[in-house]
Amino acid sequence: MSITYLEAIREAQAHALRDDPRVFIYGQDVGAFGGAFKATKNLAVEFPGRVLDSPISEDAMVGLAVGAAIEGMRPIVEMQFADFSTVGFNQIINQAATLFWRTNVPCPVTVRLPFGGTSGSGPFHSQCLETVYAHYPGLIVLTPATVEDAYSMLLEAVAIDDPVIFCEHKLLYYHLKAESLPSEALPVGKARIAREGRDMTIVTYSAMVHEALEAAKELAPEGWEVEVVDLRSVKPIDTDTVMASVARTGRLLCVGEAWPWGGVTAEIIARVTSEGYGLLDAPPQRLNAKDTPVPYHPNLWAAHRPTARAIAATARKLLRL
Amino acid sequence: MPQIPIIMPQLGESIAEANITGFLVKPGDTVEAGQDLIEVETNKASMTVTSPCGGRIEKFTAQLNESYAVGATLGRIETTKEEAARLGLDVPAPIRPGDTDRISKGSGNGSRVQPTVRGLPVPANAAGASYLSPRLKARMTELGLSAADLAGIPGSGAAGRVTIEDFERFIAHLEKQKISQASSMRVSVADAMRRSWTRPLAHVGMPVCLDPLFAFRKVARPKPGPALCALRALAVALAQNSAPAGRLVGNKIVHPSSIDIGFAVEAEDGVLVPVIRNADKRRLKDLIAPYNELVELARGRKLPPDATGGSIATVTNFGTFGLEWATPIPLPEQTLVLGLGAARHAPSWDSVKGQFVPIMEANLTLSFDHRVIDGGAAGRLLQHVADLMSKPETL
Repeated sequence: MSITYLEAIREAQAHALRDDPRVFIYGQDVGAFGGAFKATKNLAVEFPGRVLDSPISEDAMVGLAVGAAIEGMRPIVEMQFADFSTVGFNQIINQAATLFWRTNVPCPVTVRLPFGGTSGSGPFHSQCLETVYAHYPGLIVLTPATVEDAYSMLLEAVAIDDPVIFCEHKLLYYHLKAESLPSEALPVGKARIAREGRDMTIVTYSAMVHEALEAAKELAPEGWEVEVVDLRSVKPIDTDTVMASVARTGRLLCVGEAWPWGGVTAEIIARVTSEGYGLLDAPPQRLNAKDTPVPYHPNLWAAHRPTARAIAATARKLLRL
Repeated sequence: MPQIPIIMPQLGESIAEANITGFLVKPGDTVEAGQDLIEVETNKASMTVTSPCGGRIEKFTAQLNESYAVGATLGRIETTKEEAARLGLDVPAPIRPGDTDRISKGSGNGSRVQPTVRGLPVPANAAGASYLSPRLKARMTELGLSAADLAGIPGSGAAGRVTIEDFERFIAHLEKQKISQASSMRVSVADAMRRSWTRPLAHVGMPVCLDPLFAFRKVARPKPGPALCALRALAVALAQNSAPAGRLVGNKIVHPSSIDIGFAVEAEDGVLVPVIRNADKRRLKDLIAPYNELVELARGRKLPPDATGGSIATVTNFGTFGLEWATPIPLPEQTLVLGLGAARHAPSWDSVKGQFVPIMEANLTLSFDHRVIDGGAAGRLLQHVADLMSKPETL
């Protein structure tokens, strides 16, 4: 048996619906249609009345979920694309994120964001918003890179009492496969060493973990052993694991598919330079998408996002410094 | 097609250049990565320069039997973009006349717009032989090392900088060798010399006739030694004009407040510098007793704290080691050190007799911080000291 990243997300939701009667799914066409990407396929049949179609209003979707959470439910909201979650931005950052801090009432809402670039998706269906949501106190932002993490972290997202932005990368939906679903997992907030190395640390998350691993493989025959840290959750960030890795290697490259202005990669570098300045044997570097809207054309898109080639080239410069 | 330069490699730790003794391939030949291209000879061995990549030899710029520095371009290889990229040696294609950049319009001469800050080019990154990374600095602090301790490490980083890996290998290598604890005297001398060496130090010297001094010693009671005479002569000279003993700090000259002169005494595993205070205010005969007392205290490592430090110049009698010449280093807080070499018989032209006559002479040297005084001022001061030493009865 093999299971894809997308199927793992569906299985996690089925598991959550089965385990906890307070869980329900709300989103556009999530019911009979099974969701834009079929992440809720057959769930409406399996769990009648608990997988509900919403109007085409992200604002209303999140607003309803916050209200249900106040009443003790644990809603999962599916955005069709992360890009459209900005229509519900007010409800997410002003209502969901602040609720507990204002009222002492927890807000266990999970908002699923199918995000990230795929070839030919263009500016409205490719954006990476984890850096935007990570800015707001009160939100948890998860960015699973593997099938196993997609499954276990979604289950944990539903169980967490805080609002969780669950960023699932569309590029991984069909291509990434695992043999089976995991029975245990690292807790949220704990990073994973995806590849051990001695010469340099690449810190990244989500789909970029696979590009970084590919780059590390490309650099291995040249004699470089590159360590890859998969953050798993960008909020909270596991600074300890990052710092320990930089302590071993002395060199840091942060890779993110989001835009370069601020964001997760900048945050990692800020933390390492302020708390671990004496660990660095070279100026820390970062690699992000280009600072333009995401282009449609496949060739432009390939040049816009960090690829294994681009990561390896940046890594080489840093390793030779 | 990108062109990759053939670079004179680092052939050994101490090798700066190598002589071209033969070409093993011709321009136009197809070569593989790692293939021997050029035979070179250093003062240590014959070696070969290998190809950095596969491709076709475009040309050799190096000439047979000429010597080229490490890092010099010896020729060019035309290679594929893939091969160049694989090496991380992407080189921009030469700009063709007529090419226009979207921002720098019409740069037909091939020059590219460089980023500038108030007109100055911005360095590409923090690297270079003198660059110490934060981690390297932290480790050096931890181990109590200074930049001078890194002098023996050939850096493998960009532009020859010492990376943390180079440093840790060096430390690990040291641990395999015999290591003994340096005495605290050795460490403090090392620290003083390292700090002093940060300045541009220069040296002048001249012979001085010691016959008048030896004649004076025959009659004087007690007998002054040549080093003390030199010390007193320096004090008298500096009392007339103390400017050469001033210290340069920023754009200010700090003048000496009193003519306190130190003298070097060899002690176990180092040098001590006891000080004679106000050496200009006491006659030579009155200095002999305190001088001898300080020498004894220093040799016994029993100098009281107020007997050292705060001097404006030092006298060192390196002649006691049989040396005729030396270039001593002034203490870091001083500008001057006066040296006295071993006395020897030398011929001197006697214009009255019209012949050479034997005299006793020794070299007098003055080492100085060239920021404070120049060779002329140093020479005049040294001449003044020599003149005073030839009239020891006036001292």
